[in-house]
Amino acid sequence: MPALGWVLEAAHVVRRLDEAGIDRGVVMTIVDAPEVNPNALELVAEACAAYPGRLEAFARIHPWYGDWSLDLLDRAIGELGFKGLKLHPVSTIAHPGGEETLRLIRRAAEHSAPTLFHCGDEPLTTPLTIAHAAAACPEATIILGHMGGYVHADEAIDVAERFPNLMLETSAMPYPAKVSAAVERLGPERVLYASDGPACSPRIELEKVRLAGLDPAAERLVTGGNAERILAAVT
Amino acid sequence: MTVDSLTFVGESLFGPAATVDELLRALDATEIERAVVCPQRPQSYRLEDANDAVAAAVGRHPDRLVGFARVDPNQGDAAAAELARATGDLGLGGLFLHPWEETFRVHDERVVQLLDGFALPVIVAAGYPWLSEGAQVGELARRLPEVDVVATNGCQINISGLGQTDAELALAANANLAVQTTGVYREDFLEGVVERLGAERLLYASGFPYFDPRLEVLRARWAPGFDDRTKAVVLGGNAERLFHLE
Repeated sequence: MPALGWVLEAAHVVRRLDEAGIDRGVVMTIVDAPEVNPNALELVAEACAAYPGRLEAFARIHPWYGDWSLDLLDRAIGELGFKGLKLHPVSTIAHPGGEETLRLIRRAAEHSAPTLFHCGDEPLTTPLTIAHAAAACPEATIILGHMGGYVHADEAIDVAERFPNLMLETSAMPYPAKVSAAVERLGPERVLYASDGPACSPRIELEKVRLAGLDPAAERLVTGGNAERILAAVT
Repeated sequence: MTVDSLTFVGESLFGPAATVDELLRALDATEIERAVVCPQRPQSYRLEDANDAVAAAVGRHPDRLVGFARVDPNQGDAAAAELARATGDLGLGGLFLHPWEETFRVHDERVVQLLDGFALPVIVAAGYPWLSEGAQVGELARRLPEVDVVATNGCQINISGLGQTDAELALAANANLAVQTTGVYREDFLEGVVERLGAERLLYASGFPYFDPRLEVLRARWAPGFDDRTKAVVLGGNAERLFHLE
């Protein structure tokens, strides 16, 4: 189900991964389950099944549905093989530190699965706001997607220094120098390449990481090693 | 001709500094021939000094640089006088407005009065909340149909894509509005502007030194939906036409 008029097909994702020479991608819906798309989990599961070995799934779930939200996450990870939880407070208007959100993050952590937050410049999504979740759930791995967007990248690095359970994800944030700063200050194990594709270019986003000028070992971790480690830990 | 349609030189009260030599090296590194260079707001707050510095840089490198003036519309008559001096005596080729750093709504009556009858192009720092969001830049263009308005950042700064629709609506409603590629991570937005509104509405800009030209130029060069003609006009032809470059 499209949001903002966007319709993103799995085949398009795989084609763009191929263009960039990327082996595997993590995919999710652009709206939440159970509302506005009650079939969101099945949609992503079918996409991954169509491209075995290429796509891994995160479950984008609205926190306000109580036990239903928890059951959806359990089913996604336990039955459908999903590897993480995605939260987008712009669409849910659920505060990252709210109890409904924390319950979901903690449940994901019980599966050793990470929680990926949209982390940009909008209210409810900034690094300091998401830090409430990081503080309340120290056992959870929380990923700041877009690592703060256009104007909160420095704040994302600052917050990640304070909370060791935070990782930064590089997509869309437009500054190669912030990628190198994050690696320098946090270590290469805590920074993840991502593209926000297919509407954004995986090839350009990968070049952004290369322009950061990381040493080869660090670049290998950022562009794949860290993601492999996180995905393999999910039970 | 290839043109980077937005760069800055000098010290900034708010952000990174850049020398003219650093700008020229950035252009060479990205194989771009010319650049529109805009003043930064200096520590002294005196935009007149920054305009003088840009004019001096253009004087030293007339084959590479095209200078734009910068004024603060909040200064009323003084802004109008400085605009006349900068585009007259100094010979600068257009006006750069930064509603965020000077703090004014881009479609404020003072701006409209300042630009009424202005014959040169205007670049607007766009996408800033409350002051230069897509709909507001569109309103400026609507009120000044004879003025060519170029919006930075795809007329939006939002990593959720929430500014995209207003930017598209502003472009669709105002033929005198074009947008730059600076920092626009969504390739489908850039391609959509070209497909639905025409390649003449999109200009490559690096935003140096705030953005990294080595990355920014790829948004035009690597866009899979751009044919060679589109790349040529986005990477230079449109700036050549809009900014009257020889």
